[in-house]
Amino acid sequence: MKLYNFPFRKPLFIFICLLLLTGCWNSRELDELGIVVMLGIDKTEESEYILTVQVINPSEIATDAPTTRPPVSTFSTTGRTLFEAFRRLTTKSPRKNYLSQLRLVVLGTAVAEEGVMPVLDLLYRDHEFRTSFFVTVAKNAPVESMLSIITPYEKIPANKIMNSIESVERNWAATKGVSIDKVISSIRNPGEDPVMSGITLLGEEDTGTNINNVENVDSPTKLEIDELGVFKGDKLAGWLNENESRGLNFATGNVHSTVITHPCEDEGTLSVELLRTSAKMKGKIESDQPVIDIKVEGEGNVAEVDCKIDLSKPDAIEKINKHVEEAITESIQATLAKAQKEYGSDIFGFGGVIHRDQPKYWKKVEKEWSSYYQDVEVNIDANVKIRRKGNSTQPINKES
Amino acid sequence: MDNQTISARQYMFLVVFFIIGSSILIVPTPLAAQAKQDAWMSVILAILFGVIFVMFLNKIGSLSSGKTFVQSAIYVFGNWAGRLFCIFYLSFLYILASLVLRNIGDFMTTQIIPETPLQFTHILFLLVVIGGAYIGVESIARSSEIFMPWMILLLIFLTISIMPQINMDQLKPVLGNGVIPIISNSSIVIGTPLLEMVALLMIFPYVKEEKKAKRAWILGTVFGGGVLFLITILCLLVLGSDLTALNAYPTYRIAQKINIAGFLEGLEIIIAVIWMLTIFFKLIILYYATSVGIAQFFTLKDHRPLLLPLGMGMVVLSIIAYPDVAYFETFVGETWLPYSLTHGLILPAILMIGLLVKRRMSRN
Repeated sequence: MKLYNFPFRKPLFIFICLLLLTGCWNSRELDELGIVVMLGIDKTEESEYILTVQVINPSEIATDAPTTRPPVSTFSTTGRTLFEAFRRLTTKSPRKNYLSQLRLVVLGTAVAEEGVMPVLDLLYRDHEFRTSFFVTVAKNAPVESMLSIITPYEKIPANKIMNSIESVERNWAATKGVSIDKVISSIRNPGEDPVMSGITLLGEEDTGTNINNVENVDSPTKLEIDELGVFKGDKLAGWLNENESRGLNFATGNVHSTVITHPCEDEGTLSVELLRTSAKMKGKIESDQPVIDIKVEGEGNVAEVDCKIDLSKPDAIEKINKHVEEAITESIQATLAKAQKEYGSDIFGFGGVIHRDQPKYWKKVEKEWSSYYQDVEVNIDANVKIRRKGNSTQPINKES
Repeated sequence: MDNQTISARQYMFLVVFFIIGSSILIVPTPLAAQAKQDAWMSVILAILFGVIFVMFLNKIGSLSSGKTFVQSAIYVFGNWAGRLFCIFYLSFLYILASLVLRNIGDFMTTQIIPETPLQFTHILFLLVVIGGAYIGVESIARSSEIFMPWMILLLIFLTISIMPQINMDQLKPVLGNGVIPIISNSSIVIGTPLLEMVALLMIFPYVKEEKKAKRAWILGTVFGGGVLFLITILCLLVLGSDLTALNAYPTYRIAQKINIAGFLEGLEIIIAVIWMLTIFFKLIILYYATSVGIAQFFTLKDHRPLLLPLGMGMVVLSIIAYPDVAYFETFVGETWLPYSLTHGLILPAILMIGLLVKRRMSRN
């Protein structure tokens, strides 16, 4: 029996064509989409959400003859829930927003301090969102103005911030790009607390929102990525400075490459380029108290020398190793001091380490982990190996 | 019935598709919710059960010597009791088929085309299934040979491209909650694809060599279960047990996370082809089994006139089968296992006893 013997095949064929040739049911063509790249969320005093979206102006991005129109536009509105605000946006923006290309979410300090969990629900539930965007906190300015800054070099501000976060993380290790699923799982996990990159606005807000901002060689208003926001649960507890952020990344093995500088013995300074690091955390129990061993391994080069030192001696390299190890240990300790004692926030995920390594003990302390956490003893063991010293065999100021 | 035959290898592919279809979407979430980071062990346990279960089904298959489930039930229990027996079996297949249809419909409307009414997704999907069931089991089996390499390629692609995001710590602590949740949760996998394999007893007689068919069935079960194992452990390794349990479709979520060299992303819809394919085959097997079963029930010469009316019924049944997704989740969690146990295990067990008694009687 073959398909062409099917009864009523001609009417059926026409019927199928009717169904299939009408096009897609919810087709949305490119010219009907408002492509959202950045999303700002904050709260008003009446505890309504303020939603700000940054939408691409496609005609500005994909053109050979750019006009003076800005490459992106922002729209802002309020709503009792985020979803309500999203739909209310249509009263201001000409197109319905399309969220799959979202690069960045910027949370306002009000939302961050009150708790971010309610905000994240929509971003994780709705089908249009991917999970590849970063979640950040606006540090010193309202979210609306953060989103309205026109950035030099990168036409789309969202891309500029995302690329900055990625390159800081890769080359300087002072921040951490966190995606939404990482945030959600660390908030839900009793043995871990999240961190998020902070965005700082440098300069005047008013000049930054104008296209003139990028007509200067040195734009007066800029966005900067530094400092990590520390959360306790889903509430912002405080900030880590550059050194402490690096400490966190060292301890969690998240340093790809960075620079470590230390003063020389007599005068001057010496910088080392770390190329690879890895970190291991182990949990153990000593007299019924949790103890964490952090072991950091690193490998690097001598990068810049401005002191009198004989680099041809293995001893000298050995000394540099020691200095770098100390620097790493110190920055981890600085982070610990803040996270453990000041904020009481388990950003290292010590609870998770205890859960993995000492599951029985974890069962006992899981409920009141935050009180145990502050007394966790941490042993840091850094081990750095400097392998090479670049093109020069000796410092150039050394008289041989 | 027509004299169609399929080869043992084709049968193995059908078994593989049957096991992966729809379970790939609905199994990881409840597994991770209860067995946490040890969910993958539950899958292994379930595969072991599956092999034993298939040996049992194989026994029925060889006892009924070339008869389908419906034919041998009527042969063993007589015209009236046998047909009553078959009503249970056929209704099980039919309801299962409409649930499988609803699974893919729910997935499409949740993740891909939220504004398209469910009915139209179902009708379009069913039209192809009806076309396939119309041209018969031979063509179904042959098309399974065409699509199997695609599915394997896509699975390999998914596994390799998600490798960088794997975090082995997500599986620790191993056996953190003891052995009991692992054992009790293997019932999820046992209920959802494994016990449903009783439907394959309608296809089994078409396989050319019985000995090879038995081995193919076991191999197919192990391979299909292996894919479920792979998917579950990938979800756990990438998302962790907590987020796997939080996601309605964790497999789709990990496909969304594929990011190759920073520019090749958004590939989830290509990966979704895996479950479109597998669900298509599962549905077509169930649909074919139901229609052939009903034809044999009424001793019709041809099952084809039944296909369209059955499809109309199925579109309606799949819509009214459950009102909302939350109902479905409790249904799968609480009702499905007893239902599939009675129809997937007890029903064939009664049939086997009947077949054994009948054989002894005819020998004497």
